[in-house]
Amino acid sequence: MSFVLQLLNGGAGNLAAYLAAHVLLCLLPAFFIAGAMAALIPKASITRWLGRTTPRHVSYPAAAAAGSLLAVCSCTIVPLFAGIYRKGAGIGPAMTFLFFAPAGNIMALAYTGSILGTEFAVARFLLCLVFGIGIGLLMALLFWRDDASHDKQTDALFANKASIGSAAIGVLLSLVALLIAGTLKLWPLTATVAVVSLPLPWAETWQATLFQWVPFDAAKGEEGVSVQGSLLIALLVLIGFTAYKGMENIVEGANRWTWIALGLAATTLLVAALRFTPHAGGLEIAFTGRVFAVGLALWAVSHYARRLNPEDWQGWLWESWRFVKQIFLLLVVGVFVVGIVRQLIQPEWIQALAGRNTLLANAVGVAFGVFMYFPTLVEVPVARMFLDLGMHPGPLLAYLMADPELSLQSILMIAAVIGRPKTFAYVGWVAVFSVTAGLLFGAWVDGVGFGWLALGMAALIAVLAVALTWLNRRQHNAIQPS
Amino acid sequence: MLTVKILGAGCANCKKLEAVAREAAAGAGLEAEFVKVTDMKAIMAFDLLATPGLVINDKLVSSGRIPTQAEIRQWLAA
Repeated sequence: MSFVLQLLNGGAGNLAAYLAAHVLLCLLPAFFIAGAMAALIPKASITRWLGRTTPRHVSYPAAAAAGSLLAVCSCTIVPLFAGIYRKGAGIGPAMTFLFFAPAGNIMALAYTGSILGTEFAVARFLLCLVFGIGIGLLMALLFWRDDASHDKQTDALFANKASIGSAAIGVLLSLVALLIAGTLKLWPLTATVAVVSLPLPWAETWQATLFQWVPFDAAKGEEGVSVQGSLLIALLVLIGFTAYKGMENIVEGANRWTWIALGLAATTLLVAALRFTPHAGGLEIAFTGRVFAVGLALWAVSHYARRLNPEDWQGWLWESWRFVKQIFLLLVVGVFVVGIVRQLIQPEWIQALAGRNTLLANAVGVAFGVFMYFPTLVEVPVARMFLDLGMHPGPLLAYLMADPELSLQSILMIAAVIGRPKTFAYVGWVAVFSVTAGLLFGAWVDGVGFGWLALGMAALIAVLAVALTWLNRRQHNAIQPS
Repeated sequence: MLTVKILGAGCANCKKLEAVAREAAAGAGLEAEFVKVTDMKAIMAFDLLATPGLVINDKLVSSGRIPTQAEIRQWLAA
């Protein structure tokens, strides 16, 4: 019985830590950014670069951009992937798009950054970008005949042109500013500007009660629930309730609940930016530079949002709310389960398997990623657990690269569109590239000079470039009537 | 008799689109048969880059977004 209780406590403690201030400051803006990208960026503004006639040096980066900006959910990924492959730029860019989308989108990057640290987010982004384009080029090399046979079809699907409105750009940029203001750990954001002491004698007792409810072990890297955390959780519950009333029918217009929910969301961000310190007889609230930066960014968001036409901002709010419904609940459940599982895994096992940056350890990371299927974003708290248990950052990155790209579900879906041989080739390349990425990042963490790593990358890119020139010539010869 | 097809593998937006389309049809007093298309190959037979897609009498009228009831009523009447 006490064992079960310990497990449940582990889950609750993990969950509480994930609802803490620094995570909310990242997740809440990220949901709004994802919604804005889905609703405010016209797909044609990017897909027009993915047509059959687009030159390669444009279509591959465009495919990566499409993965990063358009594809936060599978509703877009699968049709867009099939469209690019069958009716557009061909198998190479389609593969780049498919590889980059789950790891390069704003939600994944922001969340990785706030849970695992900025260097993981940067490594994940850069390596996924380079290797995504690499895998695309390799697939195009391997299956060049296939693209040649597609060339007779029309380009109509990718002919539409559109550009993003200035108000939409303003909204997007100020949301990104909000995300940065909330998460960056730099002066002057961390500087304390003013301190207010509230005479709330219950604050200290409340903190003691919270620690009693959710005991934690700082040595294991666990966080407890603070007074601020409890306030934020209460605010989140309120947002959930009001958003349900205000956002479900937002497409037909806003109501009173919509504005209450948005006001609460802004309040939550501001509260999360404060620093609370309970002491004997009161509660000390520190106004950091962050509070003012977040406030300024919120003002900018509302300033630009007001200039959007109703159809756009309603679409934006609907998409944001849809992401919350789709992802947040699964994330909460996932984090809870991760907390429970963590109590069962012995650190020695992880350290023995993947404690050092070896080829085998990286392969284990990739294999784990392929065979485990976690819902969107849950791979990040899982990674955090492994990191705390002593996994080396290299194999951890290998796992992070492989998990969202390769799961049984996604392999079946890809196979339905491009057939089995190509799918196997893709899976193989992803495994190889993920292991390489893990080794590179691990070497960097272990202190190998940047020059060597850059040299290795440059050699890799050079090999690809030579192969590409060769492909160009061969395709050219194949199309030329002899 | 109208045939309305909802293209989508079952994500939240597809369900929402079906609800909106049904309300629009009922609001306009039109009788329509609703078909849900979830098979990826059948969906890709139409020219679209993002689901959900709305097809009225075999013509794709919108994709990648949820139209308002007013828009759908116009398409139904056309």
